[in-house]
Amino acid sequence: MVAQSLAGTISLTEERPARSEWERIWSALRRNRGAMIGLAITLLLILAALFAPVISPHDPTLMGAGGSLEPPSLAHPFGTDKFGRDLFSRVVAGSRLTLYIGALAVAISCTIGSLMGLISGYAGGTIDNVIMRAVDVMFSFPDILIALSVVALLGPSLQNAVIAVGISAIPWYARVVRGTVMVERQKQYFEAAKSLGASNERLLFRHILPNALPPILVLATLGFSTAILSAAALSFLGLGAQPPEPEWGLELALGRDLMRQAWWIMTFPGVAIAVTVLGFNLLGDGLREALDPRQRRMG
Amino acid sequence: MGAYIARRVLAGLFTLWVVTVAVSLLIHLVPGDPVRIMYAQSQSTGPEQIEAKRRELGLDRPIYVQYFNYMVKLLHGDLGKTIRGEQPVLDLLMLRLPNTILLTVAALLVAIVVGGGIGFFSAYFRGTWFDTLGMGVAIAGIAMPSFWLGLLLMFFFSVRLGWFPVGGTGLASLILPALTLGLVSAAVLARLTRSSMLDVLAQDYMRTARAKGLAEPLVLARHALKNSLIPIITMLGLQVAYMLGGAVVVENVFAWNGVGRLAVQAILQRDFPLIQGFVLLFAVIVIGVTLAVDILYAVVDPRIRYES
Amino acid sequence: MHDDRITDMARSLAARGVDRRSLLRLTGAGAGAAMLAGMPGLAARGIAAPARQEAQPGGTLTYARDGDADSLDPQKTTTTLSWQVQGQIFESLTAFDAEGNIVPNLAKSWEISDDGKEYTFTLQEGVVFHDGTPLNADAVKFTFDRFMAEETSNPSKASIGPLTGTEAVDDTTVKMTFSAPFAPLLSFLTDPFSGIISPAAVKAAGDDFGNQPVGSGPFKFKEWVKGDRIVLDRFEEYKGFHPMYGHEGPAYLEQVIYRTMPEEQARLAALETGEVNMAEPPLEEVIRLQGDGAYTVNIAQNTGQLVFFEFAVHRAPFDDVRVRQAVGFGVDQAALVSIGLNDLVQTTQCAVGPGILGGDSAVCGAAGFTHDPEKAKALLAEAGHGDAPLPVTLATWTGGNREDVAQLVQNQLNQVGFDVKLETMDIGSLNARVKAENNTTEGGGFFDMMGWAWFDPDILYALFHSPGWVDGFSNPDLDAMLQEQREMTDREARLAKIDEIQQYLLEQGAMVPLFSPGWNWILASPTSVQGFQFAPFNRALLYDVSIAE
Repeated sequence: MVAQSLAGTISLTEERPARSEWERIWSALRRNRGAMIGLAITLLLILAALFAPVISPHDPTLMGAGGSLEPPSLAHPFGTDKFGRDLFSRVVAGSRLTLYIGALAVAISCTIGSLMGLISGYAGGTIDNVIMRAVDVMFSFPDILIALSVVALLGPSLQNAVIAVGISAIPWYARVVRGTVMVERQKQYFEAAKSLGASNERLLFRHILPNALPPILVLATLGFSTAILSAAALSFLGLGAQPPEPEWGLELALGRDLMRQAWWIMTFPGVAIAVTVLGFNLLGDGLREALDPRQRRMG
Repeated sequence: MGAYIARRVLAGLFTLWVVTVAVSLLIHLVPGDPVRIMYAQSQSTGPEQIEAKRRELGLDRPIYVQYFNYMVKLLHGDLGKTIRGEQPVLDLLMLRLPNTILLTVAALLVAIVVGGGIGFFSAYFRGTWFDTLGMGVAIAGIAMPSFWLGLLLMFFFSVRLGWFPVGGTGLASLILPALTLGLVSAAVLARLTRSSMLDVLAQDYMRTARAKGLAEPLVLARHALKNSLIPIITMLGLQVAYMLGGAVVVENVFAWNGVGRLAVQAILQRDFPLIQGFVLLFAVIVIGVTLAVDILYAVVDPRIRYES
Repeated sequence: MHDDRITDMARSLAARGVDRRSLLRLTGAGAGAAMLAGMPGLAARGIAAPARQEAQPGGTLTYARDGDADSLDPQKTTTTLSWQVQGQIFESLTAFDAEGNIVPNLAKSWEISDDGKEYTFTLQEGVVFHDGTPLNADAVKFTFDRFMAEETSNPSKASIGPLTGTEAVDDTTVKMTFSAPFAPLLSFLTDPFSGIISPAAVKAAGDDFGNQPVGSGPFKFKEWVKGDRIVLDRFEEYKGFHPMYGHEGPAYLEQVIYRTMPEEQARLAALETGEVNMAEPPLEEVIRLQGDGAYTVNIAQNTGQLVFFEFAVHRAPFDDVRVRQAVGFGVDQAALVSIGLNDLVQTTQCAVGPGILGGDSAVCGAAGFTHDPEKAKALLAEAGHGDAPLPVTLATWTGGNREDVAQLVQNQLNQVGFDVKLETMDIGSLNARVKAENNTTEGGGFFDMMGWAWFDPDILYALFHSPGWVDGFSNPDLDAMLQEQREMTDREARLAKIDEIQQYLLEQGAMVPLFSPGWNWILASPTSVQGFQFAPFNRALLYDVSIAE
């Protein structure tokens, strides 16, 4: 759903981004309150993931750390689950899984999608046509449907869910990177470099790719939140993470069955997902605004 | 406009064709032997049965023959039989489809009323507390996992207040799933409606209409609303597609007896013919809805004819 | 120690909310030591049955279950979900009365030859199948001929032992001949799986009989929408002989609808909204429903069910008896039952379920497993797995809180030196998977939490006599013992042999008994549903059920 906010086209920068360009982006970002909140949440998530063993009062998989289904207390701030596991420790441990899910999914979609975009834009002709029609077809379906289909093929597991989510986001990168390539190809420096005998690889990776980096960054940030949402949904459906992994979506599925007895199990992992997704969304929106020349003029 | 519509129809058919190719042949991408995987999930199956199934699915034939046979069957309305229970896939899907459509339509209403309403008034009362609150809720709403929203609604309205059942198939059971599915889209729609309305409100003809002394509600209704519809309709098309995807999740939260619930069970049981049928069915619906919206779009905005 | 904590937790849980004794009474667990003959009557059901109104014919019972049948042909399946429906469509030659005695049903009497190899049954007269075919000696012969025929590939074939032939002596006399005495016969003949089928219908339907079954039971098949519902109609010409029946003529209910609702919360919702009027509730809700005056909760006793571990013994590491024993000593049954199953079941030490001959935990306990983590660790170390956690896979089937139980097992075994990976699937898949695992020498350790329900210790023959139900544990010594018990017509002698076999199985770690019952044994209904009874071994009698206004 989040990826829809990308539906507005991402404007491409006019020139190759120099060091000053990144500085400009940062300063624009710093003035954006939402983006700063997003950045703070993101950093918090990373810190929680890094220091999870230090923060967690208990081993997240330890049964009997407390009694069964104890409500939140000082000893167990988020309460305990049916097995007496400390829910706070599990939510903290879940941040690691969540980062892993987001990073791996984004890495998959970003690498494959960007490569497709580069090839498509650079080669042109039939290759471009074939790739872009494929991208169009993928675009016409909701991410979650594509992800479901991939999981159906590979079988349910967390890793397969992440791959599925990664694949479903490929078309975004392909389209944006291709757009950048098309713009850059028209530029004088490109022609100059080409006439000087620069190799294809050099043209692609030294000249074109750097220009595509800012929009890719925006996509990757927003893609993180989409990936987290979709993977959590798959886990909730039983098609992703499997017990006893402290994955947030899976925890919510367990919480559903104990809703009448233990409200806390269906509450805290949900808060964690929503806040994390909100963080990446705010940061991504901020980045996009910072990169958008129209916004720049208005600012 | 005719040429434009023809182009859209062709594009839709092309997408559909790609989907049939993918659906009929993707089974070969399954790691391992697909027939064995299917039957790993079924009772006491001997090697003969596995071979028989392989023949029935045509997996022993060359790929182009497989595709041809698949298409011939498909055009006769034959989507194959489920691994479990050997039921015609089409019948099973059709049995559940009305429930999914009911849920999606109800959710769409929720999205339009709530999302459109918040967006419209946020734009009109731009900069006021209503605007701030509305947009804050919308941003939070976009980050909200549908399945969690569903659980929260279930907790408050079913468990705590006892107003609605926690699941089931009756009309009372429809309200919470429809709210869940609709509210997530409402958040997206609210933001879009607001920005679209703001654009329109700043237009000259709005000032003219007001200068002519038209009553404010009339101005809004006749000019503002109508002109801000175009981007909203486009978005609605996308939203319906996303809602269908979301319905898979929401149906499972509330045990709503739709196609999505069937699909998840099929995936868990690795029932490939049923999964193929599900993907194809949803593809047809999504393509159909997209096409309908494209056409509606052309009707509402005649300028579309000159689309490059 | 982690394991101590979990045990403490179990204790505190039991002490906190739940009055264990009342639960035991409700589940009949207190009567677990009872043999078949001494089984308590259903009066001990524990729920005060509301005053019965005069039963009115008519009405529909809509019964929500966690899954669907796989075939309605009693000779083609072994799943409880199929068996439950077959029990309404088909009638069997004998029956269990409320006390667990074997009494006449379709057979009004029988004689056993002195050598124990010939059983001659006299059939009730005037009974017809749903399609009008008379239920006579020919129909019985047809049923058991098909039962044994190679091409039927009947999964229950071994249950009827060394049957060499069935003969229709005259219209109402049938003789079954065995190559050796076969003690479990009469109890097996009570089962829906040995129900009498209509020869005319089988001939007409062929392989499709499982989709259009015809029997002589109180309800006849009407419609099956797979994955969704099975509809049965009242059979107007029904003649019933079951000793627990409370009236004569056709059943009260006009229709019985079995609905498939895998999600337990959905079943609960359907029950509470009145969409269904009978459902298996989530275990977490049982106490609440019992306290709610609007519902009746029926809990089957002496179900003959047993949930246990079995191992892929033909390859490492479970080819080593010490590793299997380590699982047995590493698992804490009490914690599984209290945390995982809300104390609604009882732990058991026996290889056959409580209520079955030999299912007395006080006797098997001596040979069986106790929770002893240190011993488990020592056994693992002795088997050469003391250094690094031993990776193994535990598979079980979905529902009935078994996912939770499996997680507890995972946790307990990980503390004694295993590294357990979990897989859950539906029961049909699990059967196929276990068979596949037993037939490959590749792959790591695999064991599964399985459930079997039966009514006679001969279940051990079906499970463990070579080649066994799923090609698992078996050997010639065991085969010999299993054969011997079949031929023992003297009850005490047979019991001694059964105890000997159980001891052997437990010492060999062929299985690790866990608890009983385990599935499809609790039913909740609004109080308007009256007259429901569980006959022994979890058989739901719907014949006397009526719907009050």
